[in-house]
Amino acid sequence: MSAAVDGELSSTEEQQFLSHLTKCKECTEEFDEAKKTKLIIKERVVRFKAPLSLVNSIMQLTSLSQRETV
Amino acid sequence: MFAEKSRPWNKIEICICNRSPRDITHFCEKEYIRVSAFLADESSCLQFKESPTISEPGRIPLMDNPDATPNEKSVTKHESLSIAERKMQLEFQNEAVPHLNALYNYALHITMNPDDAEDLVQETYLKAYRFFNSFERGTNCKAWLFKILKNNYINLFRKNSKEPGKVDYDLIKDFYHTIKDNRNDTTETDTDYFHSLLHEEVYQALHSLPEEFREVIQLCDIEGFTYEEIANMVDSPIGTVRSRLYRGRKLLRTQLEGYAQKRGFITDQDQ
Repeated sequence: MSAAVDGELSSTEEQQFLSHLTKCKECTEEFDEAKKTKLIIKERVVRFKAPLSLVNSIMQLTSLSQRETV
Repeated sequence: MFAEKSRPWNKIEICICNRSPRDITHFCEKEYIRVSAFLADESSCLQFKESPTISEPGRIPLMDNPDATPNEKSVTKHESLSIAERKMQLEFQNEAVPHLNALYNYALHITMNPDDAEDLVQETYLKAYRFFNSFERGTNCKAWLFKILKNNYINLFRKNSKEPGKVDYDLIKDFYHTIKDNRNDTTETDTDYFHSLLHEEVYQALHSLPEEFREVIQLCDIEGFTYEEIANMVDSPIGTVRSRLYRGRKLLRTQLEGYAQKRGFITDQDQ
């Protein structure tokens, strides 16, 4: 089921799964629920910004190595 | 390194923060060559700006052939850096640095502490840079970085006998409020209860899950890794990843429904 939600089935597996869905109401419901849940996580979990101090130090990382060799 | 410089560089400012990792990579692919060139001459830290219009007239010719002989006129002060090292540096900047935000987010999730997360990411990039030559070009760099981060976390933090899996809701709430990015708030007119859920509730629900469930959901739904990549990162077979996702999502759904019910919404079952 998860594999179907995440697009991890092969094309034959997917076909089999989809045809099963047309016959099985329970599975269809569950599939929809799982997809919804995945969407919520994807869209609703906030993404934090990396703090500038971190950005700066990472950018300096490669420049720093330059200076070290000088 | 550069054949000529037409005029002094302006400071370029790009905010990496507002981009998803994929956007950054795309954006940086176009601009990074110039940005990297800039880095060679500026010793102060570089800040990036969102608008991709970098307004120099004409291109700055960058060495197409990194193995060219060093007779080329060079204005860089870092001549002692070998060509190969310079090439590696540019590759690192192109491939590894764009994932900074994603890595930071992941670090935040697993440490629940912004200072620890920052240290962790820093440590990760240091290691990654040191061992960059062992990274197989063409494979997923993000996955590689995440694996390093995870290992660092285990080495640096787990050893301090911090009990994993315990959830402090107050901590999450406070933590969330101090760093929340308000950008993503949109007005939802949809009355479907799923859409009414607050960011905060979703975040809490996710963090109420046992760690191994939370982790795979994060890696799959938020970061978009394949099952195979996830399996490698968590050192478990793909079947385990699948079942954890299945059970984790089910648990999550129950949690989220609980929140919605508390706020008086009808659940799907009553439709």
